[in-house]
Amino acid sequence: MKQFLTVLKFELNSYFKNRSFVLTTVLLAVVMAGVIIVPTFIPGLLNSEKDETSVKEETSAEAEMTEEALDNLGVFVRTDQVDDVDMLLDMMPAQWKTFQEEQELKTAVEQEEIEAGFILESLSDVTYVVNNLSMSERYSYMFQNALSTYQRMQYLKEKGLSAEEVMEAENVGVSLSTEILGKNSARNYGYTYALVFVVYFLIIFYGQMIAVSVTTEKSNRAIEILVTSVNPNSLIFGKVLAGAIAGVLQAVLILGTGFASYYAFQDKWGGMLDFLFDIPARVLIIYGIFAMLSYLLYAFIFGMLGAMVSKTEDISKSSMPVMMIYIASFLIAMLGMSDCDSMLMKVASFIPFTSGNAMFIRVSMGSVTVWETLLSGVLLAASCVLAGILSAKIFRFGTLHYGNPLKFGATVRKLKEQ
Amino acid sequence: MKLEVKNLKKNFGENEVLHGISFCVESGSALGLLGRNGAGKTTTIRILMDVFKSNSGTILMDGKPFIPREHQIGYLPEERGLYPKKTVGEQLIYLGMLRGLGAKAAKANMKKWLERMEVAEYENRKLETLSKGNQQKVQLAQTLLCNPDIIILDEPFSGLDPVNSQILKDVIKEQIQEGRLVIFSSHQMSYVEEFCEEIAILNHGDLVLSGNLREIKREFGRDRLVLSSLEEESEELARRLRDTFSDLLEVEKVQKDRIIIRKLQPENKSAILKRLLEQDVDMEFFGMYEPSLNDIFVEKAGDEA
Repeated sequence: MKQFLTVLKFELNSYFKNRSFVLTTVLLAVVMAGVIIVPTFIPGLLNSEKDETSVKEETSAEAEMTEEALDNLGVFVRTDQVDDVDMLLDMMPAQWKTFQEEQELKTAVEQEEIEAGFILESLSDVTYVVNNLSMSERYSYMFQNALSTYQRMQYLKEKGLSAEEVMEAENVGVSLSTEILGKNSARNYGYTYALVFVVYFLIIFYGQMIAVSVTTEKSNRAIEILVTSVNPNSLIFGKVLAGAIAGVLQAVLILGTGFASYYAFQDKWGGMLDFLFDIPARVLIIYGIFAMLSYLLYAFIFGMLGAMVSKTEDISKSSMPVMMIYIASFLIAMLGMSDCDSMLMKVASFIPFTSGNAMFIRVSMGSVTVWETLLSGVLLAASCVLAGILSAKIFRFGTLHYGNPLKFGATVRKLKEQ
Repeated sequence: MKLEVKNLKKNFGENEVLHGISFCVESGSALGLLGRNGAGKTTTIRILMDVFKSNSGTILMDGKPFIPREHQIGYLPEERGLYPKKTVGEQLIYLGMLRGLGAKAAKANMKKWLERMEVAEYENRKLETLSKGNQQKVQLAQTLLCNPDIIILDEPFSGLDPVNSQILKDVIKEQIQEGRLVIFSSHQMSYVEEFCEEIAILNHGDLVLSGNLREIKREFGRDRLVLSSLEEESEELARRLRDTFSDLLEVEKVQKDRIIIRKLQPENKSAILKRLLEQDVDMEFFGMYEPSLNDIFVEKAGDEA
């Protein structure tokens, strides 16, 4: 234990004395605070500061804006089946221009006087004229809708209903109110997404650093002195945990600055960022536990990778499979956010490689029982310890092994033989 | 304390690199492990330090199985490496604490040994900024930091200039006098000769010679005489000896300024001297042959050069 603490202290010191580590932390914390604080000092950027008159002004301005923003569209009616063209056009808000000739309309479209045009061939046949068909095409769809509504109304009118009656029939209001028994996934989405990303960055950034710190002992050839002076378990656990603590500390400092800045200026933001910063304590605690454990598991796996190679240059190549596993787990998590109670998420929340994200998402956005959470947590914690012990064994086995990286399968087989 | 190594064997894959190494060393004395490159010295030392496991053989300390972790051992590995980016003082304290010293004791010992090795001024410098020789001295300070009972040094003199070698020699002699058990490997015979009572010569994984150095030398010199002449060239004298002394001796080695001869009978010495006088050989020196360790080493380990 004493050795472990000595290693931990020594390795932590290496991080804290590292100028780039300190600079990155401070810089990111300042940027974080800046992003949250600076907008509150820019007048007009955040709504909550405006007084009523300015709000009113804005409302009328908005109305003008809306009118201005209406699209210019053209129409040429070739048929006499449509009696009330104005009524039809009213159904689709736009700045309508009626053309007398088909060619006129096409020219207008070509010269970009209007965005698009419609040639009404009959009640059920329309030609859509446009320069370039874009991905976000919506005019043709809206026009089709308008036309079918018009047809329906005409039909009802013919059957003896007045226009008002038809309108009334059309406008029967249905009010819908939602009662959420589980969780409001839509509201939780923001912070869940952000928190999953924090772990992602931690693992991507610190994983490699941890692997390097283990490999360094081999590349600077201090390993022989170390393995004869210290228990490999103390060494590996000390090294990996130091990396983990440094990473978490950095994340806590940066995010903490974010939280503190937001809560200090919450009034000015008017709760606009609550979707990111207003996280229930229970979710935060579960996140803290699962994120930490899953980060540790990957940290130990990276430590193991570090033990298998002898040159720091080999780490990036060897770490590919682990990165793949993590990215797969991350993608499952992203996928699971839209349906967090799916079978995939249920399974993923018990597999240690994926459970860090998956279980947290289920807790944050779905419904999950306490025993499920506990079981998944215990499994994850046990995997961490196992991965740690295995990496210490591999480190000891790989002592004085230089040259090509060890193969995981072969190493484990040899360890078993021993 | 008495360390006994018995019949160590070690395989790397199919290849057996140690074919049964045995030796013995006690506190207050030093054992020199000698051998050419690749003879198995470092492997033997690594097995002693439990870096590797042997395939067979035993290592006993005072009759009980030797477990390195239970002893305070000062080990200077062949692979010299510490933390290049850390300051000298910082890493020595770290290593001292890993081996069980308290923070204060580690710091005090660090200062003491840096001073003793004459590198105290580099305490706050990063290791990588030191010259190779000074880095080697920091390594030695690291080895002795915890006042070990057992000191194992793998090629301690490599990379040191004559002045630094002298410092190290003095330190090792001191340690032996203070009752430490010292094992060190080298192929620089002069150093071994200076302070080793026991030697073990390895060749291609075999133990070719081991025991007390003085006895080995005496044994090696038995039946041999040295003869040199003022006037005659060695070659010429050797020819004369082969022609007219063949009933008494055999010429074993002709060197530039002397000839080593072997008596055919142990009591032949005075007969040889008598005939030399009769033949009026102008003798510069006639006496017992005392081999240097170098001679012994070359004879035992140099055969397949």
